[in-house]
Amino acid sequence: MSADAIDHGASARKPDAQVPVQLASDEKTLAAAAQARAEKRRQLVLAGQVGVFIFIVAGWQAAAMTGVLDPFFFGSPLGIVIRLWDWMLNGTAYGSFWTQIGITLEESILGFVAGVLSGVVVGVLLGEISYLAEVMGPYIKIINALPRIVLGSIFVMWLGLGLPSKVLLAAVLVFFVVFFNAFQGVRSVDRNLISNARILGASRLQVVEHVVLPSALSWIIASLHVALGFSIIGAIVGEFLGAEQGLGLVIATAQNTFDANGVFGAMLVIGLIALSAEWVMAMFEKRLLAWQPDQSRENTVQGL
Amino acid sequence: MNASPDGLGGIAFSNVTKRFVTPTGAAMTAVRDINLVVEPGQFCAVVGPTGCGKSTTLTMAAGLDSPSAGTVRVSGKQVDGITKGASFVFQADALLPWKPVIDNVALGPSFRGVPKKKARAKARDWLQTVGLTGFEDHYPHQLSGGMRKRVSLAAALINEPTILLMDEPFSALDVQTRAIMSNELLQLWEKTRPSVLFVTHDLEEAIALADKVVVITAGPGTVKAEFDIDLPRPRGAVQDIRFNTRFLELYQQIWQALREEVEQAYARSARIETRKEGAA
Repeated sequence: MSADAIDHGASARKPDAQVPVQLASDEKTLAAAAQARAEKRRQLVLAGQVGVFIFIVAGWQAAAMTGVLDPFFFGSPLGIVIRLWDWMLNGTAYGSFWTQIGITLEESILGFVAGVLSGVVVGVLLGEISYLAEVMGPYIKIINALPRIVLGSIFVMWLGLGLPSKVLLAAVLVFFVVFFNAFQGVRSVDRNLISNARILGASRLQVVEHVVLPSALSWIIASLHVALGFSIIGAIVGEFLGAEQGLGLVIATAQNTFDANGVFGAMLVIGLIALSAEWVMAMFEKRLLAWQPDQSRENTVQGL
Repeated sequence: MNASPDGLGGIAFSNVTKRFVTPTGAAMTAVRDINLVVEPGQFCAVVGPTGCGKSTTLTMAAGLDSPSAGTVRVSGKQVDGITKGASFVFQADALLPWKPVIDNVALGPSFRGVPKKKARAKARDWLQTVGLTGFEDHYPHQLSGGMRKRVSLAAALINEPTILLMDEPFSALDVQTRAIMSNELLQLWEKTRPSVLFVTHDLEEAIALADKVVVITAGPGTVKAEFDIDLPRPRGAVQDIRFNTRFLELYQQIWQALREEVEQAYARSARIETRKEGAA
């Protein structure tokens, strides 16, 4: 551009650049004070969280030991730790405890991947082709209205006690969550962006690749958190309904033998798995949505 | 310069009418019997009151919409589907927020099959032309409104369009930024000389930029009058040309034509307002 216009920008920016220099010391102390306050707050919250944990665990243990809670039905923290330790050392009735965890993880992950992929593909297809959406709409609503857990019984009948029936149940649970978000995401793409891409020479496929999919991605990713939980639920419930291995079966067996510590122990392990999966998911999301404005750290360039 | 509208980059509307069906099922006429010619390389501004169908003419020239009656010809060919050689600058930024600036500018060439490396090199050149060297890897949300507009201009011009369609491109900018962007647009236009159809509601902007100003009537819009702007080129800074006596004369003349339409459109919207209030 002309040197004139650039000079405009530069001279307009100069006074802005000088002001912070004069205020620098004040701003520094202010920032330091704010940081110190935030750090203190963080520590207080952490202390509170640890306190609540100790209160519950210690209270539970004390109640179990004094007989306020019957340890036969309610278990006890110590009992849970001992039970888990025993499983890890000696394994369960169906092989090592790690194998059970591995099987459930495998089912969840396979179901998650299959459900997400099919949900995105079908969601984008129906979002892009409105005729298809109108034709399929009522059928999807009917299937969605079914309590999908009962599908598990059918899948066990069809596919047997092995891995495939659990993967299918997890995938079906995940599919609907992802599908509805992908569909909505595709439908809510800014029409201007599509028009602009078309004028710039994009084919329909290029519009989908460069405009529709990335735009729908924030909707899809929002659904993945729920989908992740559903994939674990699908695998566990599938194992509950009939399996030869897996954490769901471990829980079912513990329940049948009135082993409260066993049920709680397996629950704890499932909770830890879900938490770490959630953590991985958050990292993944941060990477994929790196282009989005970060509200906590405004780095807009001022001026023209 | 080839004066025929059938030359490369010429735009010709003949008896163009566009009707829409609103979601409630009622039909509505946006523009009626538009006759408008933009010669190759000409800068034509279209002014008119709000809601007179100015933008509709642009979308028809781009091939995003087709006329209900009449024909639109660009470069001598009747528009059928997306117009070849056209670029569009929207009122709101049409930048992809998930692509860095350089990839946004490189979109045009890469859609047309230019290898990524070559498209990026070309985009880099265009970013330099609009004064944004050093911002290649920023995302659009990290730029100011004026910078985003420059990116939009670079993204539109990289395809070397023969016609440039602009729909109130600077109306979202503040007054100073707007003046600077108008100057830059003129300089870019004088370099590459596409025909421009520039829709605005700002008469000063229209006169300062254009070779020809077309006044559209209150909706359904049709051409009320055309004015040739005989201010010399290059125009220089748009902030200064406003004090030129010829500019003021032209402004008076065109404002006479435009005022009635603006007042009529305002009266109509005011009536709708009072009717709404009466109903409530």
